Amino acid sequence: MKNPFLDFRSLPYRKKEIPLERIVRAKQEVLEHIVEGYLRLVEEEAKDLVWLVEHSRVVKAYEAALKSIRDLHYDQDDIEEFCAELDSSHKIPYMISGPAGIYISALVNHSEEDRIVLRLQDYQRVFHFLGYRLPEGKTLVLQGDVGDFIGAGLSGGRLVVEGSTGNWCGAGMMRGEILVSEHAGQKTGEWMRGGEIHVDGMIRSVGKTLFGGRIYRRGRLVSPQPIGEHT
Amino acid sequence: MNSEENGTLRERVLEIYKYIEEHFYLNRPDIDVKGAAFNSALLMSLLTGLCQGKELIIGEPGLGKTTSAEYVCALLYRFPLGTVWGSEVSGHPEQTEEKIIGRPDLGRLNQGEEVVVWSHFVLLPIKIVDEINRLPETKQSMILDGVDRGNWEYLNDAIINREYCLFATANYQDRGTNTIIAPLIDRFDVMVESKHPGANLAYLIGGQRSKDVVLRHEELENEFQRLLTERLPYDVRMERIEELCDRFGEALAKEHGIQTLSRADRQAIRSQKDEIPFDLDFNAFLRVVLSELSFCHRFGQKRSHEGCEEGCHFTEYLCKAVRNCVSNRLPISVRTFAQALAWLLGDEEVGLEHLRTVLPFTLAHRIQWKEEAVAQREKERRSDPLDIYMAKEAVKEMHRRYMEQGPQVKNALAIACRIAEGERMEPIHGDHPIYWEIRRDLGEEGLEA
Repeated sequence: MKNPFLDFRSLPYRKKEIPLERIVRAKQEVLEHIVEGYLRLVEEEAKDLVWLVEHSRVVKAYEAALKSIRDLHYDQDDIEEFCAELDSSHKIPYMISGPAGIYISALVNHSEEDRIVLRLQDYQRVFHFLGYRLPEGKTLVLQGDVGDFIGAGLSGGRLVVEGSTGNWCGAGMMRGEILVSEHAGQKTGEWMRGGEIHVDGMIRSVGKTLFGGRIYRRGRLVSPQPIGEHT
Repeated sequence: MNSEENGTLRERVLEIYKYIEEHFYLNRPDIDVKGAAFNSALLMSLLTGLCQGKELIIGEPGLGKTTSAEYVCALLYRFPLGTVWGSEVSGHPEQTEEKIIGRPDLGRLNQGEEVVVWSHFVLLPIKIVDEINRLPETKQSMILDGVDRGNWEYLNDAIINREYCLFATANYQDRGTNTIIAPLIDRFDVMVESKHPGANLAYLIGGQRSKDVVLRHEELENEFQRLLTERLPYDVRMERIEELCDRFGEALAKEHGIQTLSRADRQAIRSQKDEIPFDLDFNAFLRVVLSELSFCHRFGQKRSHEGCEEGCHFTEYLCKAVRNCVSNRLPISVRTFAQALAWLLGDEEVGLEHLRTVLPFTLAHRIQWKEEAVAQREKERRSDPLDIYMAKEAVKEMHRRYMEQGPQVKNALAIACRIAEGERMEPIHGDHPIYWEIRRDLGEEGLEA
């Protein structure tokens, strides 16, 4: 159909402002900032797109992530949106599971919300390091299977995994608890210093070096080994 | 043509208006256009002649309906009054196609040849139908095509007028009148009333017995008559007629000091008129008007046989008071006459004032009001016939709404343009039918499967 409004083409217009549009625009801006921060992190921490899991690198990456999001206001939906972007790679050219998980953890830990639920079950990729340094007073619920180093360095928070975890779940955790509704991978609780890990399914192996804390499987303590019991 | 020549032509037309107003058609000014007072019947007749329009002049018998048209034709087209009279068609029940349009050349028919003798009414560019509503409805159809396109057919011959304007007069309903059929009345661009001039001017008219002498020219009238009866091809005949017209124009200038218009002048005026742009308020307000006169939320558009639904939301707009749907001839008439008025006033753009002036006269004969709307208005104090009065009131009402919502309407149209070009935006919503029409054009109301 011919455009019957062409005579008004040169007329400056005032776009109708409806709250929904404002909200969408604001959301888009927040997401763009989050994505920018992640890309900066990857550029700084994984220059050749290779990222080795070393304690110092993890700490450095986390600090860099915190710095990126320091002045940002966002909520659970924005974090979920970012996870979706990472999974679909529409806006993000490369996704490295380690830094990605650390960055998401920084977002969760820095968030104003006490309880955050991330629905990850439909994603193609798994994220490592989710729940890293989750502080006291925060609950993070991860729906779906997750990657390695889940709840690493946990610092008093409550991490609920509604699915299975990879290896090194709760590695080096200090305080708090991790609840895994299905299975846990190898070296669960490695270098653990405090807190508790509860696994409802199987545990492939418990970490060999634990400095504290407790690991339970289906309500039964598996680490430290109760006196008189040997696996 | 330069601006000086434009000015000269405009001044000449205004002089013609003044000359008719002072010498032939004494009447009161009844409309004000941008501070200038005009008599609506005379002004619209003048614009009709200039832009090849069609005008219906109504009024009581003897109040100058036909004569006002005759004077305008004589001076704008340079025809002596005797020739104008000879070309008029008079409406009466016994009128025939042979008298209105043409007849077979009986002499040639006897020799086995089929040659049409065209009527002067068909041949001349000035067409006056006196008392059109005395023609029976079946005979009104005879002039329908010719009136619309200047296309006249008889036997196997046809003439297409290269230039023409039409004036028809109609008396108010009495025992001898018929209704003008809807398709014919819609073809008139404007309807005006030739009013009583008031007691004082009427007194002066009583002393003006010989006023027509000025516009008579027996010698030229005889030459016109001879030329019109000659069997010449249409174009050749029109060239010769034009020469005679110019001679009459020279005579008028020499004897009475009145400058009239040649065919080239009229063409130049039309070209100048066509170049005057419409401003955005004209554009938006006309869309508002068209939406109110065609919109129906329930049935998609107005239809004269479909009434309004009980409890319809759109009770504040004209669609509620009107039975029929306005035709596509309305915007053509409005644009043509508003542009002609802007030209006459020397304005650089056609705007709201021009539109407001011509709109009632383009609407008055086209709107079929519902009985309740008529009942509400008919006893009100007024100086116009009911049809024109109601059209004027309707225009005032719509204009008031436009004054309140004009910027929003223009904004909605500007945004609609972007959306139509593919930008992702939300169209402006509003209560007025124009917003609904915009959304329909943007496909927001959905298409039927």
